[in-house]
Amino acid sequence: MNTHKTGLSTRLLATVAMAFMLFPLLTVIPVSFTSKRYLSMPNGNWSLRHYEALLGNPEWMASILQSLGIAFATSLIATALAVSFSLGIWYLRSRLATVLIGLVLLPMAIPPVISALVLYFMETNLGRIAPGFGYDTIPGVIIAHVVMVVPYGVVTMLVALSQIDRRIELASRNLGASLMQTTFLVVMPNLKLGIASTALLSFALSWEEVAVTLFITSVDVNTLPRRIWGGLRDNVDPSVAAISVLLIGVTLLVLCARLLLQYLADRKAREATTRAATAPA
Amino acid sequence: MSQEHQRDCIEVLIEKARNGQINRRTFIQAMGLLAAAPLAMRSGISWAADGKPLVVVNWGGDALDAFRRSWTDSFSKSTGIQVRIDGAGPTEGAIRSQLASGKPSWDVVDVDSYSAMTLGRDKILQPLDYSVIQRGQVAPGQSHDHGIAGYLFSYVMAWDSEQFGDQGPTSWADFWNVEKFPGKRTLYKWMNGMLEAALLADGVPAEQLYPLDVPRALRKIDELKPHVLSFWSSGAESQQLMIEGEVSMGAIWSTRAKLLAEDSEGRIRWGYDNAFLNASSWAVLSDNPAGSQEAMRFIQHALQPEGQLKLFELLGNGPSNGATQKLMTAEQREADCASEENFKKQIFLNTEWYADNYATTLEQYLTHLSK
Amino acid sequence: MSTTHSANLERSLLLIPLPLLLLVFYLLPFLGVVGWSFTLPEPGIEQYQRIATDPAIHDMLWRTLRLCLTVSTLALVIGYLLAYCWVFSPPFWQRMVEICIFIPFWISVLVRAFGWLIALRSNGVLNGGLMGLGLIDSPLQLTRNETGVVIGMLHFMVPYALFPLLSSMRQLDQRVLLASRGLGAGALRTFWQVLLPQTVPGLLGAFIMVFVFCLGFFITPVLLGGGQTVMIAEYVFLQMFQTSNWGLGAALSVVLLALVSALIWLLLRITRVNRLVG
Repeated sequence: MNTHKTGLSTRLLATVAMAFMLFPLLTVIPVSFTSKRYLSMPNGNWSLRHYEALLGNPEWMASILQSLGIAFATSLIATALAVSFSLGIWYLRSRLATVLIGLVLLPMAIPPVISALVLYFMETNLGRIAPGFGYDTIPGVIIAHVVMVVPYGVVTMLVALSQIDRRIELASRNLGASLMQTTFLVVMPNLKLGIASTALLSFALSWEEVAVTLFITSVDVNTLPRRIWGGLRDNVDPSVAAISVLLIGVTLLVLCARLLLQYLADRKAREATTRAATAPA
Repeated sequence: MSQEHQRDCIEVLIEKARNGQINRRTFIQAMGLLAAAPLAMRSGISWAADGKPLVVVNWGGDALDAFRRSWTDSFSKSTGIQVRIDGAGPTEGAIRSQLASGKPSWDVVDVDSYSAMTLGRDKILQPLDYSVIQRGQVAPGQSHDHGIAGYLFSYVMAWDSEQFGDQGPTSWADFWNVEKFPGKRTLYKWMNGMLEAALLADGVPAEQLYPLDVPRALRKIDELKPHVLSFWSSGAESQQLMIEGEVSMGAIWSTRAKLLAEDSEGRIRWGYDNAFLNASSWAVLSDNPAGSQEAMRFIQHALQPEGQLKLFELLGNGPSNGATQKLMTAEQREADCASEENFKKQIFLNTEWYADNYATTLEQYLTHLSK
Repeated sequence: MSTTHSANLERSLLLIPLPLLLLVFYLLPFLGVVGWSFTLPEPGIEQYQRIATDPAIHDMLWRTLRLCLTVSTLALVIGYLLAYCWVFSPPFWQRMVEICIFIPFWISVLVRAFGWLIALRSNGVLNGGLMGLGLIDSPLQLTRNETGVVIGMLHFMVPYALFPLLSSMRQLDQRVLLASRGLGAGALRTFWQVLLPQTVPGLLGAFIMVFVFCLGFFITPVLLGGGQTVMIAEYVFLQMFQTSNWGLGAALSVVLLALVSALIWLLLRITRVNRLVG
């Protein structure tokens, strides 16, 4: 095959790195089966009580769904905004760009604790004008999350764009394509991975976000991290570990399904080539 | 009245209530007549016209459910006022920002007694209405203008008998004595009681502790610091340090010490001697959204012995209302940090000293920890 | 003329929504915080003077910088390795890297911290293993200090470092690498002279993201640092919520903002990656 390949030493090092990344699995799985009411290793007393508590308590499920919904919406909006903004910067090539990028990266450079206060004051005021979008509402949380995660998306997109050959834009424009056609048909297809990274990153950041969420929600919205972290001062519920194990199970299932589909597709392709090769001319 | 007809009446009432055609009191009374009060409680109707639900803020975790079972459910049942519990953690800064936003959404908060005093001085909290709340239900010194003890908790010394056998430490001087009692220690990160422990270890008599000699206490803490494995900031952390044997001695919450003794089958031991008793207080935000009277009525309700006993059974926190003792078994009284017997062994943290000095001293304390 | 004009308008339409949103929802309320730093508790620059002179604050800032730089550098190295593996290895390795990135993501930071405490404690798996192999005589203190904080934060940051690196590496023209090898350059030389320079934008983006993220991180240090490794995020938390010194908290975040901006500017200058900003 005519591509660059990793060597043995690289793969060996990568295996060590992977072992490091997967290390917490060694504890999260046993902890989820502990018989105690606090985070601990089961030490022989294995129990399903935290899975039962999890499935028997609709509040956990409600929080998971709420968090997934918020993370999904945040990811969608933040990605759209980050992509559009970065493309604008890319097309513009002006001094103004630095100032605008500075403004856009601001929420990233401020300690989250301060952002929490800033967004709390913003949302109590917003709640006066638009009650459905302020403090302790789901749209309010989405707005705050978008503000918090979008800088990371912008950085990712700028990285992706920095490696695109500007001449493709010129060529496309010279051929008479409009800005929208150029954007959607020529530039964006070259950014697929960058856009996917931005979306994933935004999702991940929103899913884990707690500093700001804790501050702008009260009794109506209770995301998963908020529910988990609420007990921090007192006691972390081992159901948290059970949730992790369940979510990991789902992820593995999806990855395996993908692997299987890919394998089947590959085999089909191979068969097709073999048939083509052996077919009489 | 046939059952069908009754159900129809209830549905009509709920519908009317949802549309705001009748107010809460009428609704509750009518539902009471129809013997459907529990249903009324569950119907989840918000009374835009006649008061918002009362928002009670605590520190989350197990306390969410415990507060509900001890206090808020019974309060809603008897008054018809809905209560929602927010476990966000009413830190001083969070309470201040509620007021600073111009639109507070919290009503009643569960805070350290000295925080209530500090915030009261800054008019962030409103004075408690002692015509509604019976102040005499708690011991003198456990209530002030802006806060009244809701429950008590204690910082006790716990040790590992696997290390010391039956000859365990008996005083804070022993806690500091790493030659006689080797092993690592753990102290509380947010300072309550730790300066007092250091001063007692340094030979200051208990009755002369306040005002605290901060420089002397910090010097004493510096002395022990090489032997402190961790300054714990959550109950779970202190518990983990003790149960895994990572430290041989710790200054931890009595509630945790009790759990540790049970979980370790007596390996971890502890006692109330020279422990530091602190009050968690009820306080009400200035301009609270659900109304002053509703908040005061809730606090009065939460001081009743039945609910206090329930909380003790669920979380192990000491009842602030002395009358609760009468409902307790001898065994419960022995474990209760607020019982007459145990109260005498302990030192009550001085609310006024903390209100005056906590912020500045905490900063010095934390600087010493991370040096 | 008119076509250029409308094209510019279209470009502005792409550009404007995000800055506008942040202006209204973030910048304006943030100016209020900047105001506090000059007005609380009393008008003046007293808080900034304190930051400039208080040795305890300098200690804290220095610790923050040291730990965040260590974590970002290590995260970049591991992230780079995994991204490289993802792009240039057969599908099996790609799936493995994906698993390593997605699985930790579902494990709450709290559970991860607990896991590290269990694994790294003095009678834990790692110390037991090292002592069993005879590599060390007495257990290493790996948690409840700065080492623990670095390990915990590093584990959290690697996936975030990976994303920009991945897109950067994917867009690379692989033929250049093949050409380099074809011309007789060794693997290491190809890496230093061809691969690394081409992925500088990705490295830079990843570094900025991870470093800045580290600055704001505070639960992992609290849980793994034994209460003795206060960094800027926790210090600001302390000022805002425990001791109610809003002026100092606000002033610190203004200083942090200035430091971060200077750092990013400097990095762009050194690496000459103006491409990153248009």
